[in-house]
Amino acid sequence: MAEPLLTVRDLSVRFPTTRGVVQAVNGVEFDLEEGQTIGIVGESGSGKSVTAKTLMNLLPRTAEIDGEVMFDGRDVRELAAKGEDHFWGVQMTMVFQDPMTSLNPVKRCGEQIAETLRYHMGHDKKKAISESIDLLERVGIPEPAKRVAQYPHELSGGLRQRVVIAMALACQPRLLIADEPTTAVDVTVQKLLLDLLDDLRKERRMSMILITHDLGVARGRCDEVAVMYAGRIVERADSHSLFSDSRHPYTDALLRSIPRIDQPSHTRLDPIPGRPPELINPPVQCAYAPRCRFAQRSCLEEIPEVSGVVGMHSFACHYPANTERGEAALQANLDRGETAGGLHLHAAAEGAS
Amino acid sequence: MAGSGLAPLRDRPDVLLRVEGLVVEFPVGRRDVVHAVSGISFDVAEGETLGIVGESGCGKSTVARAIIRLNDIREGSVMFEGKNLAVLKGEELRKSRPDLQMIFQDPISSLNPRRKVRDVISEGLKVWGSQMGAWSEGRIDELMHAVGVDPKFGDRRPHQFSGGQCQRIGIARALAMDPKVLICDEPVSALDVSVQAQVLNLLEDMKVRYGLTLLFISHDLAVVKNVSDRIIVMYLGKACEIGAADELYEHPRHPYTRALLASIPEPAPTVEVSEGDIEGELPSPINPPKGCRFNTRCPHADEICYEDEPQMEAVGGDHFVACHHPVAVSIDV
Ligand SMILES: Nc1ncnc2c1ncn2[C@@H]1O[C@H](COP(=O)(O)OP(=O)(O)OP(=O)(O)O)[C@@H](O)[C@H]1O
Ligand SMILES: Nc1ncnc2c1ncn2[C@@H]1O[C@H](COP(=O)(O)OP(=O)(O)O)[C@@H](O)[C@H]1O
Ligand code: SF4
Ligand code: SF4
Ligand SMILES: [Mg+2]
Ligand SMILES: [Mg+2]
Repeated sequence: MAEPLLTVRDLSVRFPTTRGVVQAVNGVEFDLEEGQTIGIVGESGSGKSVTAKTLMNLLPRTAEIDGEVMFDGRDVRELAAKGEDHFWGVQMTMVFQDPMTSLNPVKRCGEQIAETLRYHMGHDKKKAISESIDLLERVGIPEPAKRVAQYPHELSGGLRQRVVIAMALACQPRLLIADEPTTAVDVTVQKLLLDLLDDLRKERRMSMILITHDLGVARGRCDEVAVMYAGRIVERADSHSLFSDSRHPYTDALLRSIPRIDQPSHTRLDPIPGRPPELINPPVQCAYAPRCRFAQRSCLEEIPEVSGVVGMHSFACHYPANTERGEAALQANLDRGETAGGLHLHAAAEGAS
Repeated sequence: MAGSGLAPLRDRPDVLLRVEGLVVEFPVGRRDVVHAVSGISFDVAEGETLGIVGESGCGKSTVARAIIRLNDIREGSVMFEGKNLAVLKGEELRKSRPDLQMIFQDPISSLNPRRKVRDVISEGLKVWGSQMGAWSEGRIDELMHAVGVDPKFGDRRPHQFSGGQCQRIGIARALAMDPKVLICDEPVSALDVSVQAQVLNLLEDMKVRYGLTLLFISHDLAVVKNVSDRIIVMYLGKACEIGAADELYEHPRHPYTRALLASIPEPAPTVEVSEGDIEGELPSPINPPKGCRFNTRCPHADEICYEDEPQMEAVGGDHFVACHHPVAVSIDV
């Protein structure tokens, strides 16, 4: 098997704050091969963006980072230390949820793309502008020759995000990180943008990390999916296995809590009780234990390790769902009416937060 | 200004709220006008949940705000218990207020940050106290309990609660007024998926417990289907299609409804994925297209669509569509 383009090993990120140390990312590991897309899903605060920003060298100086990030045989954290900023403009680029994070409001769209090309690729002005027009055309912006002269505020949200994608792709990156790129746009626009990213990725054999809180987006658009909870990847598998044969109780519960379009109206939903834990001084236990219907005593004593090897279906749980061991644990809890984490199972359906 | 037709209005004794030919416009600049809502008609029967779905800017919130007179109504009527809310003034308008309560998308910022949540919940009650009989601490406790917030946290301020809890507090505040109609404008859009289901279930429970009628606005097609009995699909200030929730998703007839159902990440099986590739940009509501407002992006548009505005017509059962060329669907019984 070919070497993966990106390998992330035991990545941890901590932020010292006045309230204590925030353990934002904790032992994250994954591989990404050329031309593949990995999805990272999870609720807000689970550590998706911090993971992305670590790869992009965008964290504030106060962040304490541990672990290894290798990109095509190169140590990314070393590149950061050496200040090689062309790397994050040419090889690895990022698209954010809000297009205005990447755009300068007082500069014409064309100029902004052209600047990227001049800075990273050394193009002269004329070549940079003509290439900008080609890029805008490629991302499906009508009348690109006119649009290069427009300012960001003159464009709709969907068109602005296309400009940002054009800019991120200007130098033909090998890895694109898209952090909730369609969360702020309507469904019809979302479909067009995700279709566009798919096409571009295939055409250029680019790899992609697609961060989203929308399980449907991850299922439809990613080869592999990693589920994050409280800073850890709790389950990771090829997209099909993850959604049809999930092992981690959190993944399982998430999938069952979202309303589905193929259910009749007024179908009673199955919410996850409670809410995610604090990341400051978390207790030494499975972070999901207070909300987990499977939780046993050992879950409160020992943080579960990730089972299996990178690249296979792996998960971090003592009593995985859809296994005999897990089902027995769940049944024992149902019989008692309570989990080891103190969750009342009859009340769980009502889901007090 | 042509309306989109009154066909969906029902002649039933239990209709609680009846909106007819609603037009809301906002002047902008010197002489421009935003045509935010242009002739919408619908009704809601007692105990029913009506969903309003559509993309950003189509006029969902404007409809909701007009009903409770937060927006000026240019034309049309809003009938509620024999009165036309659109023309009520002064004391009569004031009296109608408690009956129609609203909860909002951004749960934290819609609550007064300086007040204890106990006071946030009783705010309205105190103002309306003289008409509504006595309010009591006991009633606040009961409401907090009903929405699943422990009354012992009543002295905390809104920012000390999570988004999901703030939405519960917002619901308690609305319920305190003992409303007949609860208007929910994207109540779960800002919440994490694991908390969304908690709040949706809570709304269903409160509806039964307090005998509410719901108007539920969302851009999320799965969420709206889950809570609604009937649904209106809106586009650029107009209603495209109205129908019973299951029927509408099962047999969508309007090209725009179908485009929405085809665009979601896991498209409805009743449409082709390619139907979601609608071209072009949303036209400006300052200069909406003549004829059918969807004609600039509709794959079925022809001459008549550029000339005449389609009117709502019944297409069988509780299902109405405003389109010159509704998409044929096979109805399997
Ligand atoms: N006070 C106002 N002044 C001018 N235009 C307005 C005003 N309020 C709303 N509009 C416009 O009216 C139209 C409908 O807006 P509305 O807020 O009802 O949309 P919506 O369907 O609720 O959208 P969203 O999903 O983004 O909440 C939009 O074009 C909007 O810009
Ligand atoms: N600069 C920072 N200082 C302190 N805490 C931070 C900082 N950036 C992120 N965090 C915290 O790290 C956690 C993970 O955040 P993030 O990765 O942004 O979550 P998400 O999964 O929503 O993208 C959160 O608890 C967040 O508050
Ligand atoms: S079963 Fe135990 S280890 Fe697994 S998710 Fe639940 S609490 Fe955590
Ligand atoms: S009336 Fe014409 S343009 Fe409008 S939706 Fe129907 S077919 Fe399309
Ligand atoms: Mg984020
Ligand atoms: Mg709105």
